[in-house]
Amino acid sequence: MAQEQSAGVLGSGIPLSMRDRPFPLRALSSLSRFMRTKPLGAFGLVLIVVLLMMAVLANVIDRVDPDAIVREPAKNCTPEQVEDRSVECFSPELLAQAQSDATLRLRYPASRFQEGSGGGNVVTNAGSSSDHWLGTDGRGRDLYSRIIHGSRLALLVGIGGAVIAVFLGTIFGVVSAYFGGWVDFCMQRVTDALFAFPSLIFLLVFSQVVPDPNKYWITFALGILGVASVTRLARSAVLSTREEVYVLAAETVGASNLRIMLRHILPNIVAPLIVIFTISIGAYILAEAGLAFIGLGDPAAISWGQMVNEGRQLGTARPQMALYVGLAITLTVLGFNLLGDALRDVLDPRMRGRSGRAGF
Amino acid sequence: MATLVFFATNVLPGDFVAQKIAANNPQGEGGREAVEAQIQKIKEQLGIDDPVPVRYVKYLGSLLRGDFGTSYQTGESALSDFRKGIPYTLQLSLMAFLVSLLTSIPIGIISAIRQDSYIDYGLRFLAILFVAAPNFWVATMLLLWVVNGIDIGPLTIGWEVPLTEHPLLWENPGDSLRLFVIPAVAGGLASGAGVMRLLRSQMLEVLRQDYIRTAWAKGASERVIIIRHALKNALIPVLTIIGLTMATLLSGNVVFEYLFNIPGVGYRILNAIYRRDVPVVQSFVVIIATFIVFLNLAIDVLYGVIDPRIRLS
Repeated sequence: MAQEQSAGVLGSGIPLSMRDRPFPLRALSSLSRFMRTKPLGAFGLVLIVVLLMMAVLANVIDRVDPDAIVREPAKNCTPEQVEDRSVECFSPELLAQAQSDATLRLRYPASRFQEGSGGGNVVTNAGSSSDHWLGTDGRGRDLYSRIIHGSRLALLVGIGGAVIAVFLGTIFGVVSAYFGGWVDFCMQRVTDALFAFPSLIFLLVFSQVVPDPNKYWITFALGILGVASVTRLARSAVLSTREEVYVLAAETVGASNLRIMLRHILPNIVAPLIVIFTISIGAYILAEAGLAFIGLGDPAAISWGQMVNEGRQLGTARPQMALYVGLAITLTVLGFNLLGDALRDVLDPRMRGRSGRAGF
Repeated sequence: MATLVFFATNVLPGDFVAQKIAANNPQGEGGREAVEAQIQKIKEQLGIDDPVPVRYVKYLGSLLRGDFGTSYQTGESALSDFRKGIPYTLQLSLMAFLVSLLTSIPIGIISAIRQDSYIDYGLRFLAILFVAAPNFWVATMLLLWVVNGIDIGPLTIGWEVPLTEHPLLWENPGDSLRLFVIPAVAGGLASGAGVMRLLRSQMLEVLRQDYIRTAWAKGASERVIIIRHALKNALIPVLTIIGLTMATLLSGNVVFEYLFNIPGVGYRILNAIYRRDVPVVQSFVVIIATFIVFLNLAIDVLYGVIDPRIRLS
């Protein structure tokens, strides 16, 4: 970045190899440099790309509908089984008779009249098979499909929460540090109060306050919780930038406050913001999973946290369900953390090891 | 702070009164007026028949006098409910804190002095993994495996976890350890991983300082250099994270207490929220938030004690 700029300033004589190439090539070459110098960050990037594909293509690669209940194909009854109510089987003879005598449908179990996959027993807690790669859960739904679809909620909550936190936090931080004085004082007291509020308890109360605790409300609440830490980060970054000569120069030529903040200060604090954005995504995904685990998530959505809890309730008989779902959460969060760490090293070496009070 | 809590909890929909009515009189006998009269009577009993602003002033007044209100559910003081929960939460937090320190500090030091060796890579990878793994998942897997028994050659590690009782350490040490050790390890490893990563990077920075070279030059032993010269200086920024860890352990215990049926503070606040027991929620949140504020203050003071440079400036 710095090299490119200085090359541009020095100008004419130097061949600008980076600038000459068209944009896609330039992006590719810097990406490959990133991959070579930061293998762990590249691994994180790969994990995130896989996750994004999973979420986007969920309906294509899921093989089975995530909410469909898997049943064994119905078997035809042997003559003696027809009268035995405890056996689930299909009887073509009874189906034919029921055309004329509808009371037969009341006297026999429903499975006698259901041909194909609608009639048999529900396949609960099945192990891996070629039809159901990771088996089925306690209610007979395909686990592989549910994990694939769960990535959508994780991404929505993670990215949505991070967008809200970084957007609001940047505005508050920049305004607070730029104007200073009593504006700064008031905003910092609000931030302090937010900081002291135990976050999980904030989420607990919030999930009960809103009339319909759906996934969008949860995303919003997580974003609000993150505002305080982003505000602190943005504020400290602006405090050092504000004293720069180019800000003074912009003031001298009569630039408005808004213009100075947007054109001169914001571009110079983008690096730490990108880093905290990436790492926050992982933190929010974890927080949502924890909330869903204790039963306060969006009941309508397919949530990984809720699935870990369902797996726990299956007990020791089938620990695989909790294992697979937990691995999905871990790999997702790992991806964002690794990428965030690598970006921090590349974009802003000063931030290394300085985590602040936010816990990120 | 208290203001925020008051308004947040008072807008909880579906209030306690409605739940109580539904429990007493599920069919709604006696028609609309009878139910209204009942609502009024219960509200008077609980002292919440005033409009919200009046209750707010009353609430602040009694809070200043140290009265945290009475639980709607039990009719006891909300503070006594908190007092009943605190031993469990404290035991769990301290055990997790112990696990976190015992793992993070030695591992952080080893990882730093053997920088870029295979040991370092392995330990760092484990740390990254434990930061990413959800702590409730780690606890769930540990629980399932411990109950099942883990076979390691000749001996099997595994025991019955007393999930229905929840003895404290001084009531029944054996059972208590069997129950608490799983959440303590899961919570401790997760927070320890973060501390370890920070400690490692701080140690690396400190080990390059001039005074470390001086210490080597004057012939101090490696142990003295690492512990007295390096660790002491590297721990200063780590202290903030440790304090924060303590705070998150206290509120993060909600998940573990839910998972292991431990009637600590988190378990009680979760129940109070479900039951719309407003005074209990209010007082718990105020107490925890106050605790966190004081914890942050204590850390700032500790800085001065540990690092004379900060005290002088």
